[in-house]
Amino acid sequence: MSMNRRDFTVGTLMGLAAMSGLTVAVRAEGDKTIAVLFDGLYSEFWVAGIKIIRADLEKRGFKIMEAISDKDDNKQFEQVKAAIAQKVEGIIIVQTDSNAVIPAIKAANAANVPMVHFNRPPAQSEAFSVAIQADNQKIARDAVLYSCEVAKASGKKHQAAILIGNLGDPNAIQRRDGFDEAVGQYKDVIDVVARIPTEWDADKAFAGLTNALQANPDISFLFTSSDFLIPQIQQALEAADKWAPIGDDKHVIFTGFDGFPAAYGLMKDKFMDACGVQNLFYETTLAIQAILDLKAGQKVEKLLLDPGFAITQANMEEKKGEMWGYVLWKEANPG
Amino acid sequence: MVPDAGRQARRGGFAGRLVRSEYFVLLLCALYALAAYPFVPVLFSAEVAGNMIADMSPLLIVAVGQTFVLVIAGIDLSITAVIALSAVVGASIMTQAGGYLPGNGGVLPAILAMLGVGGAVGLLNGLSVTRLNMPPFLVTLATRMFFAGLAIWYTTFHTTSSSIADLPPLFTGLYDFVVLTLPIGESVLTLPLLPVLIAVIVVIGAHVTLSRTMLGRWIYAVGANRRTARVSGIPVESTIILAFTICGVCAALTGILMSSRLQTGSPILGENVLLDVIGAVVIGGTSLFGGKGKIVWTLSGVLFLVLLDTTLKLLGASLFLIFIIKGAVILAAATLDTLRNRIFVEH
Amino acid sequence: MSEARPLLSVSGLAKSFFGVRVLHGVDFDVFPGEALGLVGENGSGKSTCVNIIGGVLKPDAGEMSLNGAPYHPLSPKGAASAGIAFIHQELNLFGNLSIEENLFIERLPKHRMLPLIDRRAVRARAVQLLREVELDLPPTTPVARLSQGERQLIEIAKAISMNAKVVIFDEPTTSLTRHEVDRLFTIIARLKARGIGMIYISHALDDVMAVCERITVLRDGAVLGGGPRDEFSLARIISLMVGRAIDTIYPERMVPPRADPVLRVEGLAQPGVAKDITFDIKEGEVVGLGGLMGSGRSELARMIFGLDAFSRGRIIVGDKVLANPTPREAIDAGMAFLTEDRRGEGLLMDFSIAENTILAALGRFARAAGMLEWRKVVTESKTMAGRVHLSTDRVVETRAKHLSGGNQQKIVIGKWLMRMPKLFILDEPTRGIDVGAKQEVYRIINALVEAGSAVLLISSEIEELMGLSDRILTIYRGELTGSFARAAFDREILMGAVTRPPRAEAG
Repeated sequence: MSMNRRDFTVGTLMGLAAMSGLTVAVRAEGDKTIAVLFDGLYSEFWVAGIKIIRADLEKRGFKIMEAISDKDDNKQFEQVKAAIAQKVEGIIIVQTDSNAVIPAIKAANAANVPMVHFNRPPAQSEAFSVAIQADNQKIARDAVLYSCEVAKASGKKHQAAILIGNLGDPNAIQRRDGFDEAVGQYKDVIDVVARIPTEWDADKAFAGLTNALQANPDISFLFTSSDFLIPQIQQALEAADKWAPIGDDKHVIFTGFDGFPAAYGLMKDKFMDACGVQNLFYETTLAIQAILDLKAGQKVEKLLLDPGFAITQANMEEKKGEMWGYVLWKEANPG
Repeated sequence: MVPDAGRQARRGGFAGRLVRSEYFVLLLCALYALAAYPFVPVLFSAEVAGNMIADMSPLLIVAVGQTFVLVIAGIDLSITAVIALSAVVGASIMTQAGGYLPGNGGVLPAILAMLGVGGAVGLLNGLSVTRLNMPPFLVTLATRMFFAGLAIWYTTFHTTSSSIADLPPLFTGLYDFVVLTLPIGESVLTLPLLPVLIAVIVVIGAHVTLSRTMLGRWIYAVGANRRTARVSGIPVESTIILAFTICGVCAALTGILMSSRLQTGSPILGENVLLDVIGAVVIGGTSLFGGKGKIVWTLSGVLFLVLLDTTLKLLGASLFLIFIIKGAVILAAATLDTLRNRIFVEH
Repeated sequence: MSEARPLLSVSGLAKSFFGVRVLHGVDFDVFPGEALGLVGENGSGKSTCVNIIGGVLKPDAGEMSLNGAPYHPLSPKGAASAGIAFIHQELNLFGNLSIEENLFIERLPKHRMLPLIDRRAVRARAVQLLREVELDLPPTTPVARLSQGERQLIEIAKAISMNAKVVIFDEPTTSLTRHEVDRLFTIIARLKARGIGMIYISHALDDVMAVCERITVLRDGAVLGGGPRDEFSLARIISLMVGRAIDTIYPERMVPPRADPVLRVEGLAQPGVAKDITFDIKEGEVVGLGGLMGSGRSELARMIFGLDAFSRGRIIVGDKVLANPTPREAIDAGMAFLTEDRRGEGLLMDFSIAENTILAALGRFARAAGMLEWRKVVTESKTMAGRVHLSTDRVVETRAKHLSGGNQQKIVIGKWLMRMPKLFILDEPTRGIDVGAKQEVYRIINALVEAGSAVLLISSEIEELMGLSDRILTIYRGELTGSFARAAFDREILMGAVTRPPRAEAG
């Protein structure tokens, strides 16, 4: 009976592993593995991120140990411990909470396993890890500056609205600061009338924007701190009869952030004026290179910045190749 | 009416005895570990064993609490909210970044407050179930949503970030207060002893309570047949309230261990452990219909779930696959529970 | 009468379950227009016999013939179409359907031309059938609204409509009021007049004697005696059933009641349930409470025990006044209560004998910190099992649900004896248990009372009340209608007191 059950269990495990598209022997002796621990795949940004990291690691001949914590920091800590036990070369991590990840960093330090935070830096602590982060403020500022120029060129005064992310998230704060910095230089043209907190929640964003458009029907300049809110924005603007392409009187000057495929689509169709793009390809290269450098005993800065870039109606054709959203859009719309 | 022969318990031979055995799930654990070994040889290393024991402790404590509630024919969905709320309340008291009693001096009051939060939510659940005569599923679904929301709201008053950090060293050191380090072969077993000790105490205490005390008899009787219990003079309402309170306190204890481990009071701490907790208890063999359950079973169930989790984690299985497999195992356990009563025992 | 050809003849019927023989060659005949009383203790094989006849079970050996032709039913449906109707203890009706729909559920009359149910034909036939079973209700009444007795009549009407030749009754009177029983007997007589044969199974031996022309006694799967009713006396049937002679069913008590009251009930009232009830019970006294179903007899007991609320009045046990008792307080004051719902309120069916036995007396086994002395639990449970003559002493291994009804009842009694109650309220203690177990229950009651306890006995069997009580109180619609001392016990008068409002009685 024990043989039968064992056979059954082995068979089941193999079947399930095959189903999931895994190679069964993830960790053959002598192969080098890198753990990729995300907290979730909540938007296209993260799906694209893990895909690009996976492709890059495979190209370089690494095995991958992937795990998703589903926003459970305790579980992610356990995943880090498991990765350490698997003797991985390094860990690329996206934590949920910037404080709660610190014990995991300490555990990695103790085991001498390099840890790199992808796109989301941890809180300050004495533990050592490398964070890759987009230069949110600069990217946001550059994108918004282009839109400000557009506004100025229109010769009219504009009322502006910003969709702000979760204030617990440094990325969100930096993007807001970049926006403020840019519009601050165009006080004569742009008056910010609505600051809408979204807490990274699409429903709240929709409700907030709808309310703002009712209170200020003349809003004609909009910045979103993330492209994942695009569907809600389009819906709210359509309801307010303000969804119109560039050139139309009703057009709202629209600036995005992240560089989603949807953002590229809107740029192409001339609904969006500019978009701050995080350079996922570059961030991936930085992350992997940091692990290799740390493994080789070289010194690496605690924070590595992705300068990113602003894609605008003006530079779209020349820059779109670097925009991850364009690459995915192209995959989905071949020809 | 089936005549006398039908009254005698039917023996199902060796397989029957095995399936009915207390240790069936433990045996499954062993078989599973053996079967998984070729794919994840590191499973048998001291380091992974240590990790598993450490991972088990918080889950085990909250599952023990849940066992009490399931045995009285209830269910407590609010445990995740208790973990989160106790974490942020405790952290808000002792955090060195503007806590009410910052520093090491605040640790004991904070811990007491955390246990108090668990007890209070449990008490509220129990009172709602008995006094308002509401089904436990509904009551605890409501308290889960309410207190999970409260935890997030409460946090916003104490920090600008999404969690409360900078906890005093006495608290953050609690989890790793004494660490057993034991080199076995090439691998090193590292085991934080304090959480394991707490889990062991909770398990033994709960086991003795359920199997050897008067309260234990009350709990089983209330779960098996509330009317018979009432006629027999058992304080049915107090027993139910007590079971929910025990469950709440256990969840708070898990909240203490988790927040000490992560050195953070996070309002989404433990948000996703519900499936694991109820799953572990059910895999162990405790009935969702009440009156049937043992702490030893819960221990086996938690072990099995952690083993499953660890192997899938080491294999690098995707989250979705882990969910599918866990769901299937829990379903199988529930089915097995029905089957082993129907086929191998008696009518 | 005996010269007639048997309608149903059974010979050499044998059956085993899991290698255990439960029937060892049973023979009996059912004649047209007669009822055969099939009696025996629980587990004697009665149910197995009729389940074979009804096509539920297949015999291992034996022959059956119906109307002279070999009869081998393959299924209950086959038995029904051959003319065997089975009126089960648990009736198989659909509560959500109307009487007429239930009557014709298996073969609703179709319209001649259309593929529809012919409502008018259904209605006419249903009215006719209801008249035959003396049920004066519109055929459209939902069955859920009917009493247990009325539902049974529907089952009988169904049997008539299917032209049954043999009707099997399995414990037909257990949940009927006396009035309903009388009506049932009238209808049985009518069935006999139509030449229908019957098999009548019951623990109520008086009923069997009253209804049946022939009697067959089973014990341990074999026929111990059979023949015309006139050849049997109640005493002989019982001694055949239990395998020993029994002089009287109700044992004599040696000690008379004492003067001190154990329980005083003063002015107990609850709208719609109880009206100003006052009485007392003395040490060593058995007080019977007689009343129809729904008269408030069980409700009164539940109020005294603190299970149901009351609006006025008080209860005094010994020197303790219980104004608003809970079961726990009632128990602490020295009460015990065997409710009429043995499975639902008396036992934890999935639990062992020992776990059930200690349930009301946990404090006795607790040491410091509420720890139970398990060894003491086991020894005392075993002692109690012996005291109530339980069929097994494997008190830890055996679960309550594996025991017969009589043994289950003994566990409930044992549970309360553990507390040495001053007042034991017994609500239908012998319902659905066989005569042997009944006797044991009576013996236990007597021993308890002789030791000075008091008993409040509720029973729908007047004979049982008369046989055991020192005094009988009668209750009608929540009001006490009479109190009768033992010397004044009279079946007719008691029957009158439980079926008439108090004013009529007083006048």
